[in-house]
Amino acid sequence: MNTVPIPTSSRPLLAVEGLEQSFGGVMALAGVSFQTPESLIYAIIGPNGAGKTTLFNALCGFYRPAAGSIRFNGHELCGLPTHRIAALGIARTFQNLQLFFNMTVRENVMVGCHLRAKTGLFGAALRLPKVRREEEQLREWAGAALELCELSDRADQLASALPYGLMKRVEIARALAAKPRLLLLDEPAAGLNDTETLALRDLISVIRAGGVTVLLVEHHMPLVMSVSDRLLVLDYGSVLTEGTPAEIQTDPRVVAAYLGGAVQYSLSNTDPYVA
Amino acid sequence: MRLTGFYALALVAGLLPVLFPGNYFITVVGIAAGLNVILAVGLNLLIGYAGQISLGHAAFFGMGAYASAILTTRYAFPPLLALSAGLISAGLMAWGLARPILRLHGHYLAMATLGFGIIIHVIMVQATGWTGGPDGLTGIPLLVLFGWAVDSDQRWYFVIMATMLLAVWLALNLVDSRIGRALRAVRGSEFGARMMGIDTARAKTQVFVVSALFAAFAGSLFAHQQGFVSPDSFNLSISIDLVIMVVLGGMASTFGAAFGAIALTLLHEGLVVFEDYEMLIHGALLMAVMIFLPQGLFVGLSQGARRGWTLVCRRQ
Repeated sequence: MNTVPIPTSSRPLLAVEGLEQSFGGVMALAGVSFQTPESLIYAIIGPNGAGKTTLFNALCGFYRPAAGSIRFNGHELCGLPTHRIAALGIARTFQNLQLFFNMTVRENVMVGCHLRAKTGLFGAALRLPKVRREEEQLREWAGAALELCELSDRADQLASALPYGLMKRVEIARALAAKPRLLLLDEPAAGLNDTETLALRDLISVIRAGGVTVLLVEHHMPLVMSVSDRLLVLDYGSVLTEGTPAEIQTDPRVVAAYLGGAVQYSLSNTDPYVA
Repeated sequence: MRLTGFYALALVAGLLPVLFPGNYFITVVGIAAGLNVILAVGLNLLIGYAGQISLGHAAFFGMGAYASAILTTRYAFPPLLALSAGLISAGLMAWGLARPILRLHGHYLAMATLGFGIIIHVIMVQATGWTGGPDGLTGIPLLVLFGWAVDSDQRWYFVIMATMLLAVWLALNLVDSRIGRALRAVRGSEFGARMMGIDTARAKTQVFVVSALFAAFAGSLFAHQQGFVSPDSFNLSISIDLVIMVVLGGMASTFGAAFGAIALTLLHEGLVVFEDYEMLIHGALLMAVMIFLPQGLFVGLSQGARRGWTLVCRRQ
């Protein structure tokens, strides 16, 4: 059970207002609004097809939403290309891995540091002394992210050679290497076993302790309920409700959305995949 | 450590003419192989590392060659100035083409680059007033580098090898850098790359321009070395040969591309004795390599050698 107090004074880092997105007549997002306070773990849950990943993709600029606004730290994100959004301090992991399988684990994470370095084409081709120094710096930064995610002993393996659970960790390490202010985790526990899920929960807590705001899309209810400060529940592309884990677990609308209202069930103990 | 392979290549390139002075295979074939290495290493940055296909790369090779040929013969440009003009025009062409063309993926990109290659070839054949048409241009003057005329096979060998080593060095540096990792990330996952802040359109444009510059540089040297250019040296089959070199040696490996370039050059030379059957054997060999060593000759053989070595060590 979550006991972390919610700092009510903190201003929203992310403010989404009336976001709409449709795909060929299907409203994936039908006017979603919410605010994420800074330095919290903010989870977004909902049945499959509720619009969670669509929301993430809109936040990252993979789609241009039909209507609405996304304000992040004073900047409007709607209409910006993805790499500019990343430059504002947003990083993410992917539900279906988007690792660079042609590169080593360390190189993957060094790509995460891309925006923290300056080396250009000419400097790189001529390997100027300052480029060499920056390269050392990047290795150091990547090393720290690998250390945090307990991947140091895998650093020089190809990303494609890792087991699935570790690949998901590499995605987190790569995102952290960017030193983001907001980290989007898209189903980080999917496909993980119980031990790995527990380790993930600890990692998410460590990330939060480092001052990073985390937006978490996840189906694994025990994880979500134990790690999140606040939850947003989406259903059919709309916000069903928003609140603390305790409020959400006892909200009859949420139970109904997940289970069709037929059964009384405590979400905290639910196997999410029955929904 | 990082440059061990580079020093080995430099050593081989330097020792060959000492060990076999005046040998046809070194001075003539060596020059052709060296030019092909420059082309393949540049193209490998695009195909092997950034994962973008180009089936029209001979066009940039040709632009460099024709720039040197036209400007030195018709306008009496000094060779180095003509070479620079060739680099600039090929670079600008690649830059202008990159944005619209590199939005395409897979087969569509292959078709677009193929079309580009054919258009440039058609211009070489048809714009007779400039290019001399199908007969090409003759009388291209000697390359003179700061008063030093490159007037013998030995000198050409030296110039081409020095340029080749420079190209390999630049490519090695580039690949193992922030820019090179961004390119490889584009190949690995465009979504992932963008999310990490990489402007993928810009990254693809950069690598397209760089590989065009490598090709144009090789083209200028080729024009001076041959003293003559014609469209036949820059047609579709040359573009395809360049892709074969990259794939044959092993994609995403600079030494693989270099190895592929040398192997294909030697193969063309070696198969001449079979006359009519040359293309048949050529094709069969390529098929065999792709079936048995799908990662390419260089990468496949070096992995095999490493595995064999571990086996030997374990047995002892």
